[in-house]
Amino acid sequence: MSGVLAQYTSLGETESAIRRFREAGHTDLQVWSPIPSEALEEAMDIHGSPVGRWALIGGMTGCVTGLLLTAGTSLGYPLVTQGKPIVSIPPFIVVMFELTILLTGIFALMAMLVHARRPRRDLSPHYRPEFSVDRFGVYVPAGQWDLSDVEQLVRDTGAVDVETDS
Amino acid sequence: MATAELEARVVHLTMADANEDIARPISKPALRWWLLLGVTVLLIGVGAAAWFYQIGVGLGVAGITHPVMWGVYITNFVFWVGIAHSGTLISAILYLFRSGWRTTINRAAEAMTIFAVMTAGLFPLIHLGRVWYFYWLMPYPSQRQIWPDFRSPLVLDVFAVGTYFTISLIFWYTGLIPDLAALRDKFSGMKSKVYGALSLGWTGTVNEWRHYRRAYLYMAGIATPLVLSVHSVVSWDFALSIVPGWHSTIFAPYFVAGAIFSGIAMVITLMVPLRWAFGLEDYITEYHFENMAKLLLLTSLIVGYAYAVEYFLAWYSADPIEQESFLWRARGHYALPFWIMVFCNVVVPMTCWFKRIRRSIAALFVISIFVNIGMWYERFVIIASSLAHEFDPGGWGVYTPSWVEIAILVGSFAWFFFWFLIFTRTLPTISIAEVKEHLAHGHTDLGT
Repeated sequence: MSGVLAQYTSLGETESAIRRFREAGHTDLQVWSPIPSEALEEAMDIHGSPVGRWALIGGMTGCVTGLLLTAGTSLGYPLVTQGKPIVSIPPFIVVMFELTILLTGIFALMAMLVHARRPRRDLSPHYRPEFSVDRFGVYVPAGQWDLSDVEQLVRDTGAVDVETDS
Repeated sequence: MATAELEARVVHLTMADANEDIARPISKPALRWWLLLGVTVLLIGVGAAAWFYQIGVGLGVAGITHPVMWGVYITNFVFWVGIAHSGTLISAILYLFRSGWRTTINRAAEAMTIFAVMTAGLFPLIHLGRVWYFYWLMPYPSQRQIWPDFRSPLVLDVFAVGTYFTISLIFWYTGLIPDLAALRDKFSGMKSKVYGALSLGWTGTVNEWRHYRRAYLYMAGIATPLVLSVHSVVSWDFALSIVPGWHSTIFAPYFVAGAIFSGIAMVITLMVPLRWAFGLEDYITEYHFENMAKLLLLTSLIVGYAYAVEYFLAWYSADPIEQESFLWRARGHYALPFWIMVFCNVVVPMTCWFKRIRRSIAALFVISIFVNIGMWYERFVIIASSLAHEFDPGGWGVYTPSWVEIAILVGSFAWFFFWFLIFTRTLPTISIAEVKEHLAHGHTDLGT
């Protein structure tokens, strides 16, 4: 697959370049950034993330697990201690709360990795080490367009480094 | 240093500088680092030898005996769990409040949290005596079908501290992933491979970042109530008993405030030499120390207020046993530790009302040492003086730590500093990605 890899030095330039590419019909972009940026997500028309839903599922799972663990084991071996009822909700809430937090965190991490498609051994062939330092990268696949036209479009956006991949 | 002078020095910072400066300490360590590491290993050895001696001979070699069955081990547990708390405050709570000044200190504070919980976790095991039975605390289906008593605050502690460690580790690691990728790209050979594996193949695509941002936000969101819950649960180890001096409803907020107070002090204690040793003056400035000093002052006021309220409640309760317990705390066998506690935690931090002190790194370092000592004594006074002077005069008695307990205490500090030293040479002590984010949004300095 052919395309053009452009490097930018600022967030603003990258954001406006992405908007220009998308206006020109290039929607299948790959964008690298050394920092998290909501502006880049908006420029690429990406909204939200399912991580929150997974975190919620994790939290509910943890809460129910906490209740089943505490109440279930107490009922399974009913031994009165401290003069309290067998199913003593106030102390059990602590276990339910802690397991809610625990599984929310674990689910959030797992969801992040799964949706970001990590871990991965091989990096993208278009990735450059500068992208983890101070450069922003945009790879524009040529698709049905002429490669030289794409390259010209990329140069017009003020990219500091342009690599053509034919 | 004058503000204008400082601005002139830091105004040149770029994203590439941040990469270079923060990653620089991850190189061949200097001799002094090896020497410090050697000292910590030696002291860990002393502590470990004392523990093995205790295992071999029996728990009787520790000073704990009737009526004070909780001594230095439980003091250390509460102290180290408390130390952990400010790391989460800085990394999660200040993140949710969008406090920009946390950027350069959150990584090291989070590392401190993890190492402090690792240290705290040793003490219930050491205190058990027969440590090989520690798994009895875990809920597992045994042959006798008996389970832990979930009504006991000691079992709740296992869940609270276990969750706290796991979530702190996950939160810290998530924040590290982009920085590990930056280190992978900076180094070559084996180092690059190791950091590459740890970064899980992170490349920083917009898709990766969007999931990362959400996950980080949710983790900060859950870490906030978690941190408040952990020391509350630890405080209930005491407050749910009927021991005079322990049985109090103020214990949860009192312990949480004390935890953050001691943790902030430990962050200052660690940050001052770290900043000096690695030349991070452009990143961790007087501005950051001043903000930490303000937090120290605030939490000192809360802790001082809690001390006063404890005495007020003892008087207001009209319960002679409660009143006697508190009077004895200030005038009895443990009067010296009590007044050390008051002086270090309430009197010394009041110097932070002065801006000159708040911006003096040397002064703050000294204050932080006082607070560390004061907070250790606070835990000791609460535990030992309450148990030593309960209801029946016939059951009164005093406790003095044995050399075994002191050796293990020293070893625990060495264990904590050992891990922190390893951290300073293997991982970025400042969040590279967050500093870059700060710089990319037009801030050319990191606070003055």
